[in-house]
Amino acid sequence: MRHARLLGFVAASALALTAGAARAEDTVKIGFTTALTGPFNEFGEGVHRGVVLAMEKWNAAGGINGHKVELAELLDDQLIPDRSVQNLRRILDNKDIVAILAPSGSGPTLAVVDMVQADGRPMCNPQAQTPSIVYPNGLDKPPRPNVFSITIQNNVEAEKMADVLAKKFTKIGLLHESTGYGVTGAKLLKEEILKRNKNAKITQESYNQRDQDMTAQLVRMQRAGDEVLMVIGLGADMAVNRKNMSRLNMNIPRYGSAGTVTQPFIEGAGDLAEGQRAVNFLFASADPMRPATKEFADAYKAKYGVDRWWGPDASRPQASMAGTVASGYDCANLLFDAIRRANSTKPADIDKAMEATNKYPGAIIDQTFTPAKHNSVGPDDLVLYEFVKKDGRMQLVPTQE
Amino acid sequence: MEDALTLILAGISVGSVYALIAIGLNLTYWTTRTMNFGQGSVMMLGAMMTAVLVAGGVIDALAALASLVVIAAIMVFTEVFTVRPALKIGGSMGWAVSTLGVGIILQGVAAKYFGSQAVAFPDMVFSAQDYVEVFGVRFALQYLAILVLSVALVALLELLLRRTVWGRAMRAVSMDADLAAVAGIPVRPIVLGSYIASGLLAGIAGMLIAQTGGTVDPAFGFDLMIFGFVAAVLGGIGSSSGALLGGLVLGVIEKLVGGYVSTAAAHGIAFALLVVVLVARPQGLFGQREVVKV
Repeated sequence: MRHARLLGFVAASALALTAGAARAEDTVKIGFTTALTGPFNEFGEGVHRGVVLAMEKWNAAGGINGHKVELAELLDDQLIPDRSVQNLRRILDNKDIVAILAPSGSGPTLAVVDMVQADGRPMCNPQAQTPSIVYPNGLDKPPRPNVFSITIQNNVEAEKMADVLAKKFTKIGLLHESTGYGVTGAKLLKEEILKRNKNAKITQESYNQRDQDMTAQLVRMQRAGDEVLMVIGLGADMAVNRKNMSRLNMNIPRYGSAGTVTQPFIEGAGDLAEGQRAVNFLFASADPMRPATKEFADAYKAKYGVDRWWGPDASRPQASMAGTVASGYDCANLLFDAIRRANSTKPADIDKAMEATNKYPGAIIDQTFTPAKHNSVGPDDLVLYEFVKKDGRMQLVPTQE
Repeated sequence: MEDALTLILAGISVGSVYALIAIGLNLTYWTTRTMNFGQGSVMMLGAMMTAVLVAGGVIDALAALASLVVIAAIMVFTEVFTVRPALKIGGSMGWAVSTLGVGIILQGVAAKYFGSQAVAFPDMVFSAQDYVEVFGVRFALQYLAILVLSVALVALLELLLRRTVWGRAMRAVSMDADLAAVAGIPVRPIVLGSYIASGLLAGIAGMLIAQTGGTVDPAFGFDLMIFGFVAAVLGGIGSSSGALLGGLVLGVIEKLVGGYVSTAAAHGIAFALLVVVLVARPQGLFGQREVVKV
């Protein structure tokens, strides 16, 4: 009798487990590693929140062709390439995962992208700007078959900035961080400026992330008589640089890459942020906002409220949110929409559907990919912003320059 | 010429911060032959707590003072629970690992409670726009303030060490702790005091440098601690004037090389100089050879 009861219990447990397994297999599983903690979690945690919002949106509508979406692997790499590789290995070993989001930052993404290409499952890159992530053999060569990007690639930013700078200035100071993002960005910008103005004189200097003083670099630029300073880097370093300029009485115009438009710069530089210019998406600064942007903004505000990612203006999110939360949101939505259209979770089918994405109304822009073009953002999608102090606080205002 | 003066001033002020860190490392080296390898995190905590408190509405001076009190408590914990037990075993290097461990824990605590992103550090005395003009050359007051404060602190410390009973007691402990104990000198409180003073110097250095950069985050301070250590070795471990000079030389060379040769080579050349100095004078610029009777 005791044996029979035990057998019955085992059989029931096995049945329950099988049923559970069948239910779990029914979900569409995604995974990613990103900077959830650490000094760059503004980017990684932002992407995570965007992915959560996209999943909730799809699951509330019944899932993808009836299958709920599940975030099966979420790992933290703190933007350290070694950890990204370890984490991504674990994600790729999970054969149930059908799509991946790339880590934050060019360093971690470059460290994992070959593994992802060899594996074959589709990956969407929300933030890393280095072009070789998508085009390893050059921009005029075919992209990696399973890698798609919705970020402002360095070459796109370079084209936009070169249009602005080469038109107005001949002696240009180009300061960049010593990372892959900074070095590639500076090289491409230099080429684009010289394409537009052969006589342009460019003083190029670099700094390490977290340097607390950039006097030497700026003095070299002052000596070269530069008429403008262009900086490629990220928020907190931008504040160090701006304060350094002020101490040296360096009053030339200053432009920055998209990384400038972040809260650490605005807070760190204080009133010195006024007049600084940088490129980014029009995003929530459009008046009125695009319906897809508005839908995203409303969803974020309802779930997370007006916080650091959203910015100080309760009526609309700040420009930098396009590169953080909205990037994760759009990347996840593009993958989900491709799986829906493909009605399949096979990598080749999803890739094909991704390549057929045509004007998908993303929170940032209308996203389009083709078989030859796996990055959706062009120079025309970007605007130049200027920091203006209005109503007692620093605001980003699009300029017509 | 103006460029050179600007670079030298920037080098001197950055070097003053290296010197403060170096002197902090020296203080504990005197009393226990140990150094706090979590000094970078102590710098970070001083600056970050001040920034968070000021953002919360606390007046600047009170915020800085409160941060220094917390730092003093952390240094007491570090000495009592991580250094003292390790020193019970002769020749143990456990203190190096345990102090580094405390530093890493402090980073984690700061990230958990203050956030892992950079927070804005307020302009406490001068802003980046404040300057004085000397012979037509513009000197930033933020830089000058760092220099003046650092030199004043070093002078005060030297005065305390040479002119007060506690200072003399500390020097006695640094020469021979066992003999000092036999002579009735309270060795334990002096060791504890050296750790507290070392932490306070690091906390002040953190606030000074965070002010020039404008932001501070939990990973702040580690690079600076390395340069502070280099300054201490360059000047001669155990010498206050050596640490000051070591810091200043390192800072100025770094800026001059950056300004006239290459910014990418600035740190490399500074370290190469350290190697050359140590080959020529293993005890550092102002250090004294230790004579050991066998």
